[in-house]
Amino acid sequence: MSAIDVSALTKRFGQRAALDRVTFEVHSGEVFGLLGPNGAGKTTTVRILTGLLSPTEGEATVCGLSVRDGGESLRRSVGLLTENPGLYDRLTARENLLFFIKLNELEPSAAWMRAASFLARFGLAGREDEPCGSYSKGMRQKLAIVRAIVHQPKILFLDEPTSGLDPEAARTVRDAIAELAADGSTIVLCSHNLFEVEQLCRRVAVIKTKLLAVATIDSLRKADPVLEIHLAGDPARFSSAVASLPFVPEVSVSDSALRVHLQREDQAPDVISCLASAGARIYSAVPTHTPFEQVYLDLIRQQEVG
Amino acid sequence: MAFHPRRAVAVFWKDFLDLRKNKGLLWTMAALPAVLVLVPVGIVYGYAHDPGDPSLRTMALFYDPHVQLSVNAARFLIDKTLTDWFGLYLIMPVFVPIFISSQSVAGEKERRTLEPLLASPVTAAEILAGKSVASLVPAVALSVLAFILLCVLVDAVAWPFTHELLLPNQMWLFGVLVIAPLFAFFGNGVAVLVSARVAEARMAQQLSGLVTLPLIGLVGGQLAGLLKAGTVYYAVEGGVVLLLDAALIVATVRLFDRERLISRWV
Repeated sequence: MSAIDVSALTKRFGQRAALDRVTFEVHSGEVFGLLGPNGAGKTTTVRILTGLLSPTEGEATVCGLSVRDGGESLRRSVGLLTENPGLYDRLTARENLLFFIKLNELEPSAAWMRAASFLARFGLAGREDEPCGSYSKGMRQKLAIVRAIVHQPKILFLDEPTSGLDPEAARTVRDAIAELAADGSTIVLCSHNLFEVEQLCRRVAVIKTKLLAVATIDSLRKADPVLEIHLAGDPARFSSAVASLPFVPEVSVSDSALRVHLQREDQAPDVISCLASAGARIYSAVPTHTPFEQVYLDLIRQQEVG
Repeated sequence: MAFHPRRAVAVFWKDFLDLRKNKGLLWTMAALPAVLVLVPVGIVYGYAHDPGDPSLRTMALFYDPHVQLSVNAARFLIDKTLTDWFGLYLIMPVFVPIFISSQSVAGEKERRTLEPLLASPVTAAEILAGKSVASLVPAVALSVLAFILLCVLVDAVAWPFTHELLLPNQMWLFGVLVIAPLFAFFGNGVAVLVSARVAEARMAQQLSGLVTLPLIGLVGGQLAGLLKAGTVYYAVEGGVVLLLDAALIVATVRLFDRERLISRWV
């Protein structure tokens, strides 16, 4: 079942298109990655899906509510963590959370109990009466996550949740997101950090104003499988034989191994037969996949060239 | 889109709490009433301390060539000072909401707290109402407190000479209770409107503060003897500001919406 359904979504600011006919869907209970370089339209997408901006064209529904007229109901259904935590520094953590509890018109004591349990899970228990201005960056980000989920949203949008954090703080925030994901929350994660996306997400959309790809990370990586073959002797002697195969787009030699790019994994036996026919002595043949970072960069470059 | 008073109260609660903890802003706000109370007290003291000074009659004749010899010049000048000073006193109810609203609207943009706020169920009208009340209540309260202090101090320094209470009088009571809140509403409206268009609280304060210049100009006209202030004069000023308040409400409701606030900010 779709938690979010985005169809030909377009947003223009004056003449400039920030988003151009982007289409994807996010399933209930999944952690979905929204990737793209700076200025690609990720934040604009999130702002449209959280009811902050209206699309110029196209349609999107969040929890079955249209972003055009979902208004208050839509905003009740979502939680948003912005890149900057956006806390009131002079107010304490408790006051910051109580403010959002009041804005969501929740029963204060029950909502505070829930918030306090999240504060404890994220290691902030006992610090709730300190001004937020005295918090470290990681603590601020974790408090902002609690604020985003205090009203039990159906979908949580996290825009660059670990941006600007040191590795330790980023790790604790990632762990916090993983805990929420384990609880079955639907999460949309915007990030430049591909390691983080690989750890947390199963499916991703890559956008750069336009949609470049939407698929599982595994399928994106498997879309360009590589067979790494270790041979006796100089592997370069056999590269022309393999390159002559019609389904091999690229062959390279590295570290005494032949790296053969395939279109599909099931073409590997044909490559091995070809090498055996050419007299090669094969030590090992291991199917590998292009690193996700490479897949992402290739997608961005392909669009730039196109 | 229904208006939920509880959410507007939540915005008021947060802004008021934030104001209470903002010591720098509180000191800045306290400086203005201190000046606007102590200066006229000093002037009245000067006249009451030496009412026989012959130069006072010359001053009185400058302001009113028809002033009778039977009229005490010091008393005439004290009454004129207190009447004219109300024009300057009005700067306070205009300026205090400008200080507060610039911080609370443009300040939210500057500190990046506006996006989470706008992503909550609260409507733009509720934000506007909560923030306006959080700005108007301190402005009106400060104006009334400053007026009470002014009454006490002026009467204390003038009593040995006048042997009667000069303040509160009808004009000041009408001014503080009716005109000053209209001016406070005006200052708040201007600050909210400007804050919605600019990215920094300081810029919002500076631009909004320009609206006090006509007030200062009018007081200059009074001191130069070109304008004669009084209850009717201030009532006309109040009427003009009331019309401006109505125009500001229309403009603010039209311009204070989520998309505009977010788009102007990014």
